[in-house]
Amino acid sequence: MTLAEDNGPERGGDDLLAAEYVLGVLPADERQIASRRIDTETAFARLVDAWEVHFAPMAAAYAAVEPPASVKVAIDRRLFASTSSTSPAPGGGLWASLAFWRGLAAAAIAALAVYVALPYVNPPVQPPGSRLVASLAADNSNVKYLAVYDAARHEVGLSLVSGDHGAGKDFELWMIEGKNAPVSMGVIPAGQTARMAVAPAVQQKLAQGAVLAVSLEPSGGSPTGQPTGPVVAAGDLKGI
Amino acid sequence: MAPQDISKLIVRTSMKDRAAFDLLYRQTSAKLFGVCLRVLKDRGDAEEALQEVFVKIWTKADRFAVSDLSPISWLVAVARNHAIDRIRARRSPSANIDVALDVADPTPGPEAMAVAGGEADRIHHCLDELEQDRAAAVRGAYLSGESYAELAERFKVPLNTMRTWLRRSLLKLRECLER
Repeated sequence: MTLAEDNGPERGGDDLLAAEYVLGVLPADERQIASRRIDTETAFARLVDAWEVHFAPMAAAYAAVEPPASVKVAIDRRLFASTSSTSPAPGGGLWASLAFWRGLAAAAIAALAVYVALPYVNPPVQPPGSRLVASLAADNSNVKYLAVYDAARHEVGLSLVSGDHGAGKDFELWMIEGKNAPVSMGVIPAGQTARMAVAPAVQQKLAQGAVLAVSLEPSGGSPTGQPTGPVVAAGDLKGI
Repeated sequence: MAPQDISKLIVRTSMKDRAAFDLLYRQTSAKLFGVCLRVLKDRGDAEEALQEVFVKIWTKADRFAVSDLSPISWLVAVARNHAIDRIRARRSPSANIDVALDVADPTPGPEAMAVAGGEADRIHHCLDELEQDRAAAVRGAYLSGESYAELAERFKVPLNTMRTWLRRSLLKLRECLER
């Protein structure tokens, strides 16, 4: 094998370049070019990822060194200087109170929407109306979700405010439009927050303000394609 | 903290959850600072790099979801690549070797070894198949972010020879890893 071959446009050339990038040996200019290709070429990004996976075990040799406290202060100043005093994290008591939720006026929902949306609004420039928010709750359950639909990214972000599905069960998200049968948007991944990609067919209906609902299903989701368990939370998407 | 917990923290960070971000920092900043120090060999520089690394993690946490890497490997990759970009942008390598020796501990701690587990055997086994100095070049490049120019100086060979060596080593590694 010769170097000329390795430099060719075929897989070998790109794969070696990916390995050199991950290893870190490239000079600044070649590194910048490779870095731009990672952002723009999926195939190249995959080669880089594969080498990161191969080499990752070597990172066990990095000794942990506690950084000085000033570093975190500086990070917070850079990221949150403008918002840190206005957005306290939601705690347990009030948020878990049913009376509080029942009493939520439209104004409160709007304020909540702003709180949830605030971090999103800052960096990317969004056309107006591209984000919708819904507070999902139901009278007979303690499950509450906050949902934000990002039309530009075609995804729904979910934050579990209270409740859980118990062992052997999953929450499944549905879109309900008018009198039509609910359309499954998938099983909600475990965790306090989750992001779910939205299928093209559902995107348009969400943008027009459909209802989101969460049902309790057997582990892995409804076996029938329609909700089989109780709807534990639901709500309208509203523009913000 | 278990890998799945770190995963959750990264995903919650991508949802702009500050409490998760704070916890992620507490759990991982020492490891990532170790990465920055080893590559940059200068405390002030490494502290600044660590700030930029966590700003990146906050803004790009959603990329984790589409990567094949384990959560801690993804974080290390963000830190390593940033530190290497930073050192390449420098005109000349740092002369402060003492600091480097202070913090560069090539022996993984017991905890790190346990985390690395079986997958680790593969790359180490394949590196062992290379000639000793070639394996040392690959390890040095990965851990300390040495450039082709620095490796050429260390091994006292012309730059092009170094690149040929290393690319041949990478081809052999690939062949071994895919076996």
